[in-house]
Amino acid sequence: MADFILDYGPLAAVFAAGGFALAAALAPAAARAAAGLYRICGLIGACFLILIGLLILLEIGSRVAAVYVPGLKAYAGYSMAASAFFAFAYTFGHRAHIRMSAIIGRLTGRARRVAEIWCLAAASFVTGFVCWYAVKLVAVSWDLEEVSESTDRMLLWIPQTALALGATVLFICVLHRFVDVLRGAEIGDQRSADAMATVE
Amino acid sequence: MEHIYATVVFLGVLLFLLGSGIWVGFSLIGVAFTGMMLFAPGTFGQIGDRMMTVIWSSSASWTLTALPLFIWMGEILFRTRLSEDLFKGLSPWMNRLPGRLLHTNIIGCTIFAAISGSSAATVATVGKMSIPELRARKYPEDLVIGTLSGAGTLGLLIPPSIILIVYGVTVNQSISKLFIAGVVPGIVLASLFMAYVMGWSLLRPSRMPPAEPRRPFREKLGQSLYLIPVLLLIAGVLGSIYGGLATATEAAVFGVVGALGLSAIQGSLSWETFRESLLGATRTSAMIALILAGAAFLTLAMGFTGLPRGLAAWIAGFELSKYELILALTIFYILLGCFLDGISAVVLTMAIVEPMILQAGIDLIWFGIFLVVVVEMAQITPPIGFNLFVLQGMTGHNIGYVAKVSLPLFLVMVLAVFLIVVFPDIVMFLPDSMARSAG
Repeated sequence: MADFILDYGPLAAVFAAGGFALAAALAPAAARAAAGLYRICGLIGACFLILIGLLILLEIGSRVAAVYVPGLKAYAGYSMAASAFFAFAYTFGHRAHIRMSAIIGRLTGRARRVAEIWCLAAASFVTGFVCWYAVKLVAVSWDLEEVSESTDRMLLWIPQTALALGATVLFICVLHRFVDVLRGAEIGDQRSADAMATVE
Repeated sequence: MEHIYATVVFLGVLLFLLGSGIWVGFSLIGVAFTGMMLFAPGTFGQIGDRMMTVIWSSSASWTLTALPLFIWMGEILFRTRLSEDLFKGLSPWMNRLPGRLLHTNIIGCTIFAAISGSSAATVATVGKMSIPELRARKYPEDLVIGTLSGAGTLGLLIPPSIILIVYGVTVNQSISKLFIAGVVPGIVLASLFMAYVMGWSLLRPSRMPPAEPRRPFREKLGQSLYLIPVLLLIAGVLGSIYGGLATATEAAVFGVVGALGLSAIQGSLSWETFRESLLGATRTSAMIALILAGAAFLTLAMGFTGLPRGLAAWIAGFELSKYELILALTIFYILLGCFLDGISAVVLTMAIVEPMILQAGIDLIWFGIFLVVVVEMAQITPPIGFNLFVLQGMTGHNIGYVAKVSLPLFLVMVLAVFLIVVFPDIVMFLPDSMARSAG
């Protein structure tokens, strides 16, 4: 059973995610579900951000009260990874991931579309690859019952699951967008001002 | 020979992926993947496993947690009435200085920089209020915009600074020390900007509008009263780091709590602003986390080729003096900054540059501050300068005009870099005298 999951689980996850992305690009109902998924994952990422703050408050409190609580720093680190990975797709949807627009910003019409298709194809490959091995990372950690080397002694597959889920949703989101653009969706302006006001 | 081949491949693929507009984080993963396929032993699957191991360990990082918290703090304060308070509170005191209210731009940016880690947010917050007010009083337009664009870059240097956190995580240096090291250079740079404005207005008195009517001291004080909580928040955050009471991350939590309290007292805290600030912070930190994850994988891939060590040895072969190396790096980063944002420029190059500067005997804390000032300069050079974009949007001038009026301030920054290089103690004095950090 374990061998079966290790061998085929990650690939199955990639195919399932890809199938869902295709459905989202083709069927309005699936598209609505996908949009909801990105948004909910963004909110989960935001909750993990709050959790980081709470964990650190707890850490300060325990230090002041001279009570030793093991593993708080490690939990804050896991929350950091979870916050980022859950929010990746949501951030992609808001066009807040940075890209170099010096060249594509000057292209228009057909050339711009071809460039965007290339970018999204490459991004789909990268996110698909990351999704595959993120799921595999969890499967291996789960199979070997790997434990954190820090004071929290947590089973690593638990926090790593957030990473795998986030990577999967990002893959869905990028592929969804890829198929949308292939089918003629608006490309829009990448140099969005609201992304920049908060960056840098 | 092999190094030349590896360098050409890495550089070529990187330039192609980045230049064709692929998102920076994905480009980095793509380059690293290509590099591993070509130069590292192992199969497709082993590359994937190694990639996830480094991405996991670089993402689940305690040090990195300071990043989203400081971003959040800035996002909260960005949505308060602060921009109004800054102008009203500062302007009565600037009336007697040559250059008058133009100094509200510079000091306003310095103060906002100390609560926000981002230079675009600094420009936007200070400019929102000061541009219309200064225009109404007929201050010379080129100086109104130039000082804002120049002083806005202080957001990168004066702690909390997002880019210093990214740098600290990348080269494994204490973020507390980096923050404290940024304080004096930030003040020096702000003073240089002010000196420039004073000099300019003494030389061209006819272009300066008349002074405002003088007001009694008590009235001035009354107008500045609103600024006191903000100044206390800054003092609390920086003081707790300098005094060794808190790590950068812990100070960031104080900052968030203080910022929430401040905006609650001001009455600008609502469910709406809370949610917006939180989501904004989540997006920005996810954006940076993706770049950092990609950079971690790229660093691993380059490590397999021995490229960083090879390049460091190659550079060492030239027997450049320390100053020559620094000059070369300054030019390199300004050019790079013309095409890339500051954070990407830093994470992209540090794997290569770190061995070089270590070999040259340059301190990593000092180099961090130097690097940030140079990257700041790139913020106000076309074609890619974030401050220029923000000001273009806010003022309606074209980017060429904004770049032109920023040029004198750019030259002031060149002077600042020169000072930091010649007198490294400007940077190192405070961190060297710092209390031992709490953790």
